[in-house]
Amino acid sequence: MTVPSESVAEPDGKWRRRPAPAVPAAVALLLLAACGADSGATDVGTGRAEPITLYTCLSDQSIQPVIEAFEARPDGGQVDLFRAPTGELNARVAADARSGGLRADVVWGCDPLTVQAFVDQGLVGGWTPPGADTVPVEFRTRDYVGGHVLYMVAVHRTDTAAPRTWSDLAEDGYTSLAVPDPAVAASALGALGWFAAEPAYGVDFFERLRARGAVQVSTPDAVTTGVAQGIYDAGITIANSAYAAKEDGSPVDVVWPEPGAVAVYGPLALATGSADSDVAKSFISFVVSEEGQTVLGASGAYPTVPGVEGPTVPPGAPVVSPDWAAIAADKDAVLAEYQQVFGG
Amino acid sequence: MPSGGPPAVARNVALGGVLAVVAVLVVLPVLRLAAVLWWEGGDLHRILASAAVGEAARNTVLLAVGVTGAAVPIGVVMALTLRRPDLPGRTFWRVAVLAPLVVPDFVLGYSWTQAYARAGFTDTALGWHWAGLLGPRGVWLVLVVNAAPLVYLVVAVGLAARAEPDGELAARVSGAGRVTALRTVTLPLLGPAVAAASVLVFVLTLGTFAIPQVLGTPAGFSTLTTRIYAGLSIGGDPASFLEAVLLALVLVLVAAACVAPADALLGPRLRTTRPADVQAAQVVPGPAAMRRAQATGLAGYLFLTTALPLAALSLASVTRALGVAPTPANWSLEHFRQVLTPRTLEALGRSLTLSVVAASLLVLLGALVAVGERRRSGRAMGTLVVLTLVLPGSTLAVALLITYGRWLSGSLVLILLAYLAKLWAVAHRPIAGALDRLPADELFAARASGAGPLTAVRTVALRPMAPALLGAWLICFLTALHEVTMSSLLYGSGGETLAVVVLNAQELGRVGPSAALSVVLALLVAVPALALWWAARWARARGVARTAMSPREVPGVR
Repeated sequence: MTVPSESVAEPDGKWRRRPAPAVPAAVALLLLAACGADSGATDVGTGRAEPITLYTCLSDQSIQPVIEAFEARPDGGQVDLFRAPTGELNARVAADARSGGLRADVVWGCDPLTVQAFVDQGLVGGWTPPGADTVPVEFRTRDYVGGHVLYMVAVHRTDTAAPRTWSDLAEDGYTSLAVPDPAVAASALGALGWFAAEPAYGVDFFERLRARGAVQVSTPDAVTTGVAQGIYDAGITIANSAYAAKEDGSPVDVVWPEPGAVAVYGPLALATGSADSDVAKSFISFVVSEEGQTVLGASGAYPTVPGVEGPTVPPGAPVVSPDWAAIAADKDAVLAEYQQVFGG
Repeated sequence: MPSGGPPAVARNVALGGVLAVVAVLVVLPVLRLAAVLWWEGGDLHRILASAAVGEAARNTVLLAVGVTGAAVPIGVVMALTLRRPDLPGRTFWRVAVLAPLVVPDFVLGYSWTQAYARAGFTDTALGWHWAGLLGPRGVWLVLVVNAAPLVYLVVAVGLAARAEPDGELAARVSGAGRVTALRTVTLPLLGPAVAAASVLVFVLTLGTFAIPQVLGTPAGFSTLTTRIYAGLSIGGDPASFLEAVLLALVLVLVAAACVAPADALLGPRLRTTRPADVQAAQVVPGPAAMRRAQATGLAGYLFLTTALPLAALSLASVTRALGVAPTPANWSLEHFRQVLTPRTLEALGRSLTLSVVAASLLVLLGALVAVGERRRSGRAMGTLVVLTLVLPGSTLAVALLITYGRWLSGSLVLILLAYLAKLWAVAHRPIAGALDRLPADELFAARASGAGPLTAVRTVALRPMAPALLGAWLICFLTALHEVTMSSLLYGSGGETLAVVVLNAQELGRVGPSAALSVVLALLVAVPALALWWAARWARARGVARTAMSPREVPGVR
């Protein structure tokens, strides 16, 4: 009926094979393998240690200077980077765990819930650097230490009144508001956890926002984009995102509302399979050292170590920290209550 | 049917080879996902019984049906309209309708909000905005507009390969009206192409993520893909991961349940066997008033659905910040400076290589499935390759990592496998829709008449199939060039693709640089395409001139 493309008829009726499709396919694969990803080769002969692999969701703009500074140190080593948003990072870790084990030596997450889940699965944890006590106690555990902080703040149009407190967002003056989805963004879940546990707010706060016409978008960045575009008057987002839009020239302003911007820290954890890696331990130690935190602060991320200069924090800006252990324990119940309001 | 043909051994080896690739790219990854559920269990019944999942599943299927129901007629009408050589400005329109294909989905969603949402173009200029854009109606419309060019391309390819202008002419000469000729001659011949386009749009809509996420979430409109993304996103929690895997497999089952019966019942009935010769007869011209009305209608549609949103996107690429007026005072090339760095240029080379290799292999694989599925033993292949098309990119990447990550994690080969698995059906369907032009008898006749193997393939097989092969290659190339979801999950150190580098470099996903990336990609595609078109036109004009001067110098001209 039809002719398979591998063979064509000779005039004498016999069949002669043409090159199988597998041949160009194999050539293409070899070509890609040759010109593609890192070969994984070590610096043989240079005396330098094996490279380590870092998985992180920290922005490229912030992580690259930190890696450069670490690699230049005498106790440093090559760092192979996999950087992706939290969702993709989680998916990669989940896939690694089911195909031979985590392929990272260090995981630098963007929220404690994610990293705690990795600890619970036995993928990371069990070690923090000796100098970790310079990091405030609310930003570390025995399994990981905070490398940077995200602050959940309010962003608003410059032609709209600035909210002084979080409650102000639920008052007159805002015809449209946006909040990030706590089922997608861990920073939003941290904020939800803090509001839910705070007697003056509770999940009722979100009900009042909803009654004011608030809508739920996916991520804090989507909140910033919508407010900057003018689709929404104000919203809840992360400080880096809001300040970036403001510095670009978008007509927005940033408020750290009373009783405080919600702090969500990004933990660094050593992979359990890399417990003997000196380079991996050196890297974590470097990040939480004053030198590492200074590099991080200059690159646009908020440091965890007090006194180290970082991006914009208004003088006297209030900050609150969620109880992460309580959020982890109540996550499903709080989310279910919240989703009665916004769906999902 | 012809008695001649390759020996049974050769046929079986060929079929076995294709089935092996199907197993590697489709069956094993899907089975590995199922194995994860099987071994790790979880409260699957609770997840499936939840009202939210039920609502998401209902939304997903209704959306797929609604988008297919609207995009297919629009694409068919566009293809039939643009087939007419007497349509004013036809060349321009043929390029313009394809414009949405070079824009990544999430940027397209943004461009619509910039054009039609509150504080968008129309709100600023006319004081009118469309409140329904952020919600199911907006998701539906943008998906329809996004899918219509794909339908157009598949049907146009089908028209180029399958149309029988002589048949239409004969019908008209015999007294049939325009509509009757269309209904009784043209559309029945287009059946396979329309079926191919319908399956593609239906499955792509089932698996679409970015536009429902950008436009649907604010209205609380969820689909299975947005729930899958949430499951992968939150907390690294094994239960959430299992929910995401389960929902992805539900999507696979829904796609299989819809596509398998359609393929089994419809596929063989739509096929015919016709001569490979591409007929040179012209389409019967229509009245001038109709041509003008068609051109005006097309212009209006493209202005509202393509030009305005893409103008908003282009302006966003040169406007220094979101929310400021896109006037020259606020223009800047900063976003392009951020996109065009040495790192991105290096990644561009990698992306171009990947896209060209992927598109070329996909055309080959698509053609093999199109041929193989016509045999009884290979009939299910066409349906099987749809299963990885419906998987959201993130889930497919996870499936490939779990299956092959031990050996290929972090390599470009794994990204290539992901592109092949994701886009195989996209390459296969247009080729299958045009395969009637490849009757085996004529290939045998050419070989029996002394033509070498390459000459026989080039002159008998490639000529009538060229539009379909080129169309399939183009769709795969464009999609692979700006693909980001799978590559952002699969890349290794030093192996980033262009979209990964650009999106990684953008602190907090700012829209301006992403818009600049889209413009760069569009130019990357448009400039060589225009150069090629120009060269082809020049060569044709030169050929015509030579023919006019000395017909006997041109082979085949008597």
